[in-house]
Amino acid sequence: MEGPSAARGWLRDSGGDAESDRDIKTHFRVCRFIMETECDSNSGVKLGMRSVPVATACVLYHRFFQRVSVHAYEPYLVAMSCVYLAGKVEEQHTRTRDIINVSHRYFNSGSAPLECDKEFWDLRDSVVQCELLILRQLNFQVSFEHPHKYLLHYLLSVKSLVNRHGWSRTPVAETSWALLRDCYHGAMCIRHIPQHIAIATLHLALNSYGVELPVGEKEWWKVLCVGVTKAHIDAVVSDLLQLYDMEAKCL
Amino acid sequence: MDRDLLRQCLTYHGESFFNKLKCEQTENPDFQAVLSDLCKVSCESKSDEQDSPLVEQFIARKADILFCPAWKTTTHQEEEHEEEDDAAEPYAIMPPLELFMEVSFEERRAMMYRDLEKGDILVGRINNIREYGFFLTLLCTAGGLKRDIEDLELSALCHIREIPSTGSHDDPLSYFQIGDFIRAAVKDIDRYQEKITVSLLQASLSPNLEHIKLGVVPREELPIHYRRSVDAATDSSETYECLLKSCHGYHNPSVVAYLLEKVGVSDTHPPSMMRGLQSKLFQEEDFASAIRKKQSASWALKCVRAGVGYFKHGHHVEAMNEYNKALDIDANNVEALVARGALYANKGSIVKAITDFELALKSCPDHRNAKKYLCQTLVERGKQLEEQEKLVTAEGLYRRALSLDGSSPEAQEALHKITDTIQKSIRLREEALAKEQEKATSSQISAEKLRKILKEEKRMKKKRKRSATSSSSSTTSSRNSSPSSSSSSRTRSRKKKKKRRRSERGSKRRGRISSRESRRCKEGKSEKDRAVKEEDEVEWYPAPPNTSATFLDQKGGPGFGERDGGDEVMVKDADDRRISQLYSLSAASEDEQSDSSRRDSKRRDRGESRGKRRKNSLSKSLEREESKDGSDNSRERGRERNREDRRDSDSKRSSSGEDRKRKVSCSSTESEFSRKSSFKSEYLGNSGSASKHAERGMRCDSSRRNSLDCRGHEGRGREELQELIEGKTERDNRKGKVVDGSNRSEAGNHTTPGSLTSGPEGRAKKDLPTNLLDIFNQIAQFKKEKGAGPK
Repeated sequence: MEGPSAARGWLRDSGGDAESDRDIKTHFRVCRFIMETECDSNSGVKLGMRSVPVATACVLYHRFFQRVSVHAYEPYLVAMSCVYLAGKVEEQHTRTRDIINVSHRYFNSGSAPLECDKEFWDLRDSVVQCELLILRQLNFQVSFEHPHKYLLHYLLSVKSLVNRHGWSRTPVAETSWALLRDCYHGAMCIRHIPQHIAIATLHLALNSYGVELPVGEKEWWKVLCVGVTKAHIDAVVSDLLQLYDMEAKCL
Repeated sequence: MDRDLLRQCLTYHGESFFNKLKCEQTENPDFQAVLSDLCKVSCESKSDEQDSPLVEQFIARKADILFCPAWKTTTHQEEEHEEEDDAAEPYAIMPPLELFMEVSFEERRAMMYRDLEKGDILVGRINNIREYGFFLTLLCTAGGLKRDIEDLELSALCHIREIPSTGSHDDPLSYFQIGDFIRAAVKDIDRYQEKITVSLLQASLSPNLEHIKLGVVPREELPIHYRRSVDAATDSSETYECLLKSCHGYHNPSVVAYLLEKVGVSDTHPPSMMRGLQSKLFQEEDFASAIRKKQSASWALKCVRAGVGYFKHGHHVEAMNEYNKALDIDANNVEALVARGALYANKGSIVKAITDFELALKSCPDHRNAKKYLCQTLVERGKQLEEQEKLVTAEGLYRRALSLDGSSPEAQEALHKITDTIQKSIRLREEALAKEQEKATSSQISAEKLRKILKEEKRMKKKRKRSATSSSSSTTSSRNSSPSSSSSSRTRSRKKKKKRRRSERGSKRRGRISSRESRRCKEGKSEKDRAVKEEDEVEWYPAPPNTSATFLDQKGGPGFGERDGGDEVMVKDADDRRISQLYSLSAASEDEQSDSSRRDSKRRDRGESRGKRRKNSLSKSLEREESKDGSDNSRERGRERNREDRRDSDSKRSSSGEDRKRKVSCSSTESEFSRKSSFKSEYLGNSGSASKHAERGMRCDSSRRNSLDCRGHEGRGREELQELIEGKTERDNRKGKVVDGSNRSEAGNHTTPGSLTSGPEGRAKKDLPTNLLDIFNQIAQFKKEKGAGPK
């Protein structure tokens, strides 16, 4: 696999602030890899995984690299193991073979699938071994609360506030869902609490379309979560916007 | 780009956003198309809290995604109203958000009047009943719209016309009381005068809410969101978040999937604002399933290769393991299927091999090896089936083989052969059928033997036709019919002579048979004498007076023609059997026909055996012609032949009462003879027919041998006979064998009377000589009653 090794070598000779920036970029790439592959049929898109397992995989990944240096482990291998583990955690099992295939395809696009030979089985073993490593690093705490549930309930509540025709015309649900998924490209998904992320994405989505909600004594977002402030929302939004900027820089 | 949305956004964000938008979307032709419209929009920013420029920048940058019509995946579907049930709540049904937001009274009231529509459902309490209807104080909304309206002091009128009348009562209002909770549909809203009228008629509901019942509702059935909002309003510490987490629905493991569907977002093609994640950019072949398929195929091929290697070295088990592994990996791998099929064929599991080849051809119809192998295997299987005499199935297989490989010489040859056989059997069957229908058929069978047989058959048919008429009349008028039947038998006797002449130039085989037969006849004569004696004794008996005549005829009368006639019966019977066997062979292979054809053959066999009996009686009547005293109750006699035997012996015993033992043995030999005579033809036929029946033929022979010197070895002969009968019944029991099916019916016709009556008795005679008389007497009594019954 050319991709990971290249990324690794590239990461080695970096230091200081630039290094952390590069780490973020690496993580962005790896998360993109997770998203793309899972959804593909699961390394995100290509593995056919749903949003929640993808989110779990990303959170696993970010939490893992919160504890260890990105230089100590091959991030793409960790990502593959995270996808595998997330499939188990969220009960949407993904086969290692599929993960390896899709990953191989990701790095060598258009190439023939791997032969089921020793190399393949070694790769598979390393994915499984890495899964155990992740589990130990995270002290076997691998189930997380995600913003997805919150966001969907918020969406329904907000929907009732708005005129039905205005709502049906405005793709707030799609936008907020997309924003939420995109959050997982960076470590922001573990920096903020799920409710704040959900509120921030919904806020940004409503903002994007200029949807106006009735104003009472409290703002709509204030009642959804105790203690949430505009600053929280702004922090999430700004992190999120950075991720979008990152896309242009990274890829 | 969605112009309205964009306009809405512009009005919201204001001038600065518009500039950014213009800047970011300069290269977007879609945006340029709507730009002129957007310029007219007054861009005074209304929002006091200014969004950061970064957000505006972001919106402007992603405007092509955000405002693209394709971005919106939600098809505007009127949301289905799900049944509200606390226990089955699939997601957390929350009280209206404005309750927590503490939106002002005026704003909420305005919002309500703005958003309420005709067909919506409202729930209220009756506060006043007038003669023209009743007034509701509105409590909450139901159905799609969830609003907190309890304190809005809204009231609605339900006119008396809007209450469905039950007909029995003149006043529909008498059903309602002040304080009742009423679920009603919005009939009309006057937004200016702020008046709402509601209706209880189901027809006034909007189509997606039609299933909700209007009218009085108990308190427990009030909407969940209302009940929760009442709880939340009373307890100010109850926050949205607490409430959310306390709901069952929130903890539903599939709540995300459920709500995603509800809000209309696809999770299989999830939206993303990241440029690189627009799912349309992914190629289908990069998806896991496609790659896996490819990989599996190549992996399976590897296994097949290994398997073929094993196979070449003669390690069949290992080869089979590899093939099975390959098929586990890739269930429809053509190469693996073909290889395994070949191995199966090698191992003799032809059916399995065929299945594999067929499967392989299904997924790859042009696979050369699969075709070749399948063709060979089909021929092989066809030959197997041919041995099992399933000709039609075998033919089908040959045809299939030929359709696969038109040049296969084996298949062609086999097909050729089998078509001949089938045609032959079909022709035979047709003749048999024609005979059954008593039509004169001109057969074109080339075989000399067949032609001869046919001629005879034709003659027989004519005769049988007559006897059939006479026998039918005789059965109805049992004893009294004797004059008419004797007259008919007179005419028959003329034919008989003709027949006799013909049969004199019988075949060699017939000659052999007749020689055997004549041997028996000699013995029969002495038997006959006794029978005649018996006849006198039996006179008191209600049975037909000509009972003894059966013995005379069967044991062979003194006349030459008599014997010949018997021979003819046998020969014909043998031929019949051959025909019916062929017939049954083909019948066996025609699965869907087998039942009916078996029935046919049975019927025919019955007819034949009846005819045979008739013939016996015919020859009898020839004799009797002179005496003119025999009533020709031929059918009855045929059926009761054995019974009569019994009766005779019984009567003999009962009348004389002396020398019981001898008489018993005598009677048993008699019955044996009579039985044998009914078997006789069958034995001969069997010995002449396929080797399969050799065993039976042998037994028959032995029993015949025994019967020849039956006087000396009566006991043994009986034993043999019993054995034979048992064997036959055993065979009868094997119904699965279709080939036997027809034989069975035949054998049944011939033997059932014998085996039914004398079989068990014979055993009893041997085992319990003391009880014998009682049993026989009982049977005789029974027979008597039975015989007397129909008369």
